[in-house]
Amino acid sequence: MSQLREGARAEAAVPAPAVQPWWRRLAPWGLLALGVVAMLGLQSQIYTGQERTVSAIFMFIALAQGWNLIGGFTGYASFGQVAFFGIGGYTTAVAMVHWQASFWLSLAVSGVVAAIFGGVIGLPLLRLKGHYFAIATLGVAEGMREVVTNLPRLTGGGAGITIPTVGTKATTTYLGNDGFYWLFLGLAALALAISTLVSRNKFGFALRAINQDEDAAGALGINTTRAKVLAFALSGFVCGLVGAAYAFQQAVIYPARLFDVDITVLMVVMVVIGGAGTVVGPLVGAVALQFLSEYLRQNFTDAHIFILGLIIIVGVVLLPQGFVNYVVEARRTGDWSLLSNVRRYRL
Amino acid sequence: MNDVPVLETRGLGRRFGGLQAVSDVSFSVPKGEVLGVIGPNGAGKSTFINLVTGHIKPTSGKVLIDGKDLTGRKPWTVAHAGVARTFQIVKPFRGMSVRENVAVGVLYGPHHASTMGQAIRRADELLEEVGLVGVADRPPAELSVADARRLEFAKALASSPKLLLLDEVMAGLRPSEIEPSLELILRLKEQGLTILVVEHVMKAILAISDRVLVINQGKVLTSGEPRAVLSDPRVIEAYLGQRYASRRESKDA
Repeated sequence: MSQLREGARAEAAVPAPAVQPWWRRLAPWGLLALGVVAMLGLQSQIYTGQERTVSAIFMFIALAQGWNLIGGFTGYASFGQVAFFGIGGYTTAVAMVHWQASFWLSLAVSGVVAAIFGGVIGLPLLRLKGHYFAIATLGVAEGMREVVTNLPRLTGGGAGITIPTVGTKATTTYLGNDGFYWLFLGLAALALAISTLVSRNKFGFALRAINQDEDAAGALGINTTRAKVLAFALSGFVCGLVGAAYAFQQAVIYPARLFDVDITVLMVVMVVIGGAGTVVGPLVGAVALQFLSEYLRQNFTDAHIFILGLIIIVGVVLLPQGFVNYVVEARRTGDWSLLSNVRRYRL
Repeated sequence: MNDVPVLETRGLGRRFGGLQAVSDVSFSVPKGEVLGVIGPNGAGKSTFINLVTGHIKPTSGKVLIDGKDLTGRKPWTVAHAGVARTFQIVKPFRGMSVRENVAVGVLYGPHHASTMGQAIRRADELLEEVGLVGVADRPPAELSVADARRLEFAKALASSPKLLLLDEVMAGLRPSEIEPSLELILRLKEQGLTILVVEHVMKAILAISDRVLVINQGKVLTSGEPRAVLSDPRVIEAYLGQRYASRRESKDA
């Protein structure tokens, strides 16, 4: 009997390979490359309208990954993420209109400007936690919209600003449907790459530690202020790039459109439904929500938002930790029951 | 160089609004000593540790680590100076495995591991040392109370500290579970680690402490050789009340 117990214990003590073999480490990169190639292949099979829809999915994949860096990994739910998107968009518009910069230069500058903005507001705001941080960031985004609206000579104010896309004033030829498909695909791939890197390196460990217990993280030597501000700046960088691409695609941009709080809400919902703090979660969430929303819009024209809302509510109630986290846990424990999942997270 | 105490506080105090939680605490811990810190509930022991580690900023006084003034510095600065701690209420990273919990400490301590592989290997050594090898891949939520306390211990050791602050690592443990913790502390002491132990388990304090410091109502009540301190009437009074202390004294007389 005692031998039996010893045997069981010895078995449990065999440590799983803590350092993953090379093919496990390279697998996500292989999948990412495969995904990009598949999406390039898909492009030749779809017509223009579908191409735009898929581009929008790419855009939201990138935005959701951006939000996930601060809201998912780090656990600071930013409700002002659209501020980065708007700042990126307006930086590109202003640079292309007033300073005749090329789009590609403007794109890079927009990412950097949004990242710096994230660092500057992150330093004071990341001292707040939970609801307070959410409200403060929401306020920043609303405030930025007002700032942009009230600088008419630079931004065109409420009437908007138009990026020249044809003729001699156009600094970069308009990319067209194909071009924007590639651009947004590239941004989604970049965001996924950043997210994959962060999820596996030392920095990602610091962010997860901060998320799970900030006091303990500090006691172990993690400079929590620096890590949080860097995460916020990085998430600003990603969302700023996407905003810049969106502004060029739209060509005519207004404050109300680039600082639309709905964009923030979509990022949050996609990440939460898919699985916060994972790489795959925001990807799944963005694809699922965009597809669903498009499908409902085409088939239930009158009630599509109502139905979408219902589905989101059911999803959040049944899988509070998000789809990917649920699957990971269920596979580990062997318990796939949704009811016990709800109990675990609600009671 | 050797006579510089590893930890020294001078007139350390913290006021929360109208409450003086800790006031005028001055003492020093020489290298290699195990100092037991006792005191009734609410005496300010945990606040005192938080003041040393920078989790709470002092309103008066100084904290010196190895003679270096680290008063009110951030927790990670203090950690990089070689100070590690456990938390009275255990603070595991719930979303990581037990092994990863410890690896974080190795990655960010003053002697950073340069690669993830090194950090994981060092974490496994530490888990071996505290006796958690069997549960290395589990999430902390599945640990027993005793194992959760051991995890706190392993995380504190991950940074290879020179000063270890233990905040009630034995609270809630059965006597059979306390024994391994005591052995571990004595082993660390042999390796030359300086340790400050806040504890309510008197048996443990007597077994490991070179010296005992008593804190009551935020102030140092007395300090000295463990047995002498524990039989000090003022200490008994602080724990059990004045009536009990005077009755005991008259019985002794």
